[in-house]
Amino acid sequence: MSSDSTTTTDQDALLRASIDRSLRHPVMFFLTSGAAWLAVSILLGVIASAKVHNPGFLADCAWLTYGRAFPAHMNALVYGWGMQAAFAVIIWLMARLSRKECNAVGTILAAGHVWNLGVGLGVVGILAGYGTGMPWMEFPAFAWPVLLVSYCAILIWSFIQFRVRPEGHVFISQWYILAAMIWFPWVFITANTLLHCMPGHPVMAAGINAWFKSAMIFLFFTPVALGAAYYLAPKVTGRPVFSYSLAKLGFWSLAIIAPWAGMQKLAGAPIPFFLPYLGAAATALLFIPACAAGFNLIRTMLSCPKTLAESPSLRFTMAGIIGLAVLAVAAVLLNLPGSTLKMTQFSLSGYGFDVLAIYGFFTLVMFGATYFIVPRVTRREWLSRRLIKMHFLFSAYGVVFVALIALFGGLLQGAGQEDWQQPWEDAASRAIPYAVASTFSWSLILFSNVFFFLHLALMWMRLGRRSLHPTLLVSSHDAHGSSPHGEEGDIDNAGPGHAAAH
Amino acid sequence: MSLRTFILGLSASFGIAWLTVVVVPYFKMRNLAPIALSEAKDGAKGFFYPKRTGRIADGALVYAENGCYQCHTQVVRPTYAGNDLYRPNWGGLKSDADRGDTRRETNAYDFFGEKFAQIGVMRFGPDLSNLGRRVETEYAAGGDPAAWLYERLYNPRNNPKLWRSNCPPHPFLFEKREIKGSPSADAIKVDAGENHELIPNSDARALVSYLLSLKKDQKAPAALNFAPAKKDAEN
Repeated sequence: MSSDSTTTTDQDALLRASIDRSLRHPVMFFLTSGAAWLAVSILLGVIASAKVHNPGFLADCAWLTYGRAFPAHMNALVYGWGMQAAFAVIIWLMARLSRKECNAVGTILAAGHVWNLGVGLGVVGILAGYGTGMPWMEFPAFAWPVLLVSYCAILIWSFIQFRVRPEGHVFISQWYILAAMIWFPWVFITANTLLHCMPGHPVMAAGINAWFKSAMIFLFFTPVALGAAYYLAPKVTGRPVFSYSLAKLGFWSLAIIAPWAGMQKLAGAPIPFFLPYLGAAATALLFIPACAAGFNLIRTMLSCPKTLAESPSLRFTMAGIIGLAVLAVAAVLLNLPGSTLKMTQFSLSGYGFDVLAIYGFFTLVMFGATYFIVPRVTRREWLSRRLIKMHFLFSAYGVVFVALIALFGGLLQGAGQEDWQQPWEDAASRAIPYAVASTFSWSLILFSNVFFFLHLALMWMRLGRRSLHPTLLVSSHDAHGSSPHGEEGDIDNAGPGHAAAH
Repeated sequence: MSLRTFILGLSASFGIAWLTVVVVPYFKMRNLAPIALSEAKDGAKGFFYPKRTGRIADGALVYAENGCYQCHTQVVRPTYAGNDLYRPNWGGLKSDADRGDTRRETNAYDFFGEKFAQIGVMRFGPDLSNLGRRVETEYAAGGDPAAWLYERLYNPRNNPKLWRSNCPPHPFLFEKREIKGSPSADAIKVDAGENHELIPNSDARALVSYLLSLKKDQKAPAALNFAPAKKDAEN
């Protein structure tokens, strides 16, 4: 097919198809291994949560004692699932938006294996009792250089693609992704070198650790999820982003506010007085970027209600953005220094906030992106609408339970902790009913994600449906009878050059 | 907006905060100056140095590796940040036989010997800043504090007073041995089966030594003492 005889649309379709083809294995590798880690992480989360209300459960197993299972759960969630889902979305989005094929598949895949090895050894290290005792950085000290090097080997190509892209518009998604790609190594190197290599004051070290946690959420997971959402919302609805200036406000207010947040965890601890309260103020102010982006994206998605009802990508993205809005409200309500901060500082609320950010917002948007990207890179459609629906149902409702229960149960628990005239056991036992509910809802999420993993693995093996019709959440055309696949269900995906291959 | 401006903008917005809340405070606090005691106010010469005895470094390691910080904090917040000081014996003893009211908030000198202050994640259990003090004067009063802690670690709910505790048991910190000859003096008072005894392993010994070192209620120097003047002192 010579370029003279084809139209621009065909050339575009060809380019998109070749980008997708070049990224098939890296994207599927990160998503599938990420989904496997997600299942492992949730399993550990269920075990840890069960131990809160039933401390005798699996008590003889040193590897699964609460103090090891819980950090393993969080670290597997952050580095095993979160980071890998972000890799898949970043490399694909950056290639598509910069209109460049990926030329480094081998390096990316090799580095991806190294990343998984690092995470695997790290999680086993925590469970075996070699954790460092620094929240979210519990992997034994050997792990962080391994993760850092493989991070660079995976994402440097996306940076290069952006540098050599054809001149033209820079998309909102690209701002967010580029910023996340720069912020993560900066934050990660800072925290790890300060805490592992340059021992300082122990309390300030704890402060850096609290800042690191917050920076991971707001300077990596948040921009990656927003980048993906700013791609999906206009792309799937076919409408432009509601307001470009609101998007700018959202981006730059995040960039300016988020780096100050995090140290409110140390309110009252002996570090300079301004640090925790500055952190509390910055976290509350994150309401601004979250609402700017959330409002903008929700308006964009609502511009096309029919698509919103049908598209699995949009449904997950919408749920994730609603999660962001709840996160924004929680950031304000949980961090008021005069009233709530002292109650949420050491209660379940902190966990609820983390889970809401990572699962209720970031992960749901990543699922939305997965449902969009995977059919394009594998050139197969999702096998089953029912599996997608079930995944949504259990994930969304499960996380609503886990996060809201932990947020508000944590407030009650904190009120109990502050009530110093009552015995301590009263405050401690206030958390137990919420822990029972949390075990139950993590189990639901685990159930849905095992199926998500299987669905993904089948797609990677190219066992998806060969069809031109995307798998939508409602049966498409009544005229096509009862088959959810439609009459053309068996037609092969016709390959590049056909305009429908988008 | 060119890539250059974009990266400059990012570096500025991130860099200022990074310097202000991370780098500068970290390196300033790295060289925390010792506090000279004033003879007039403190009644002592020299420098303030809260003494801790015990296997602090390796005990802190066991504490970290087994995730004690997930449920226990080690910070007694000032009253503007929480009610920890009012909790019975959290910040010190309300009425020590020799020293009177020893309660005080945690200060930056309380973590000497540790690499990372285990401020803690959640409070499913009580604060441990003065656990050593509480065990010695309250929980195991008159008995052996270490033995009390070993039995507590083996299974908290073996102690009828702690039936509501949701702390996990730690049988893996103990070694089950056959009794040969007379029973070991270290064995904990838990039924380990016929002709067997349970001995704390080296991790348990380090941990208990560390926990007993948690006595952060030494008299703070006047320069660090923010407590309001006592009423009886005024009278």
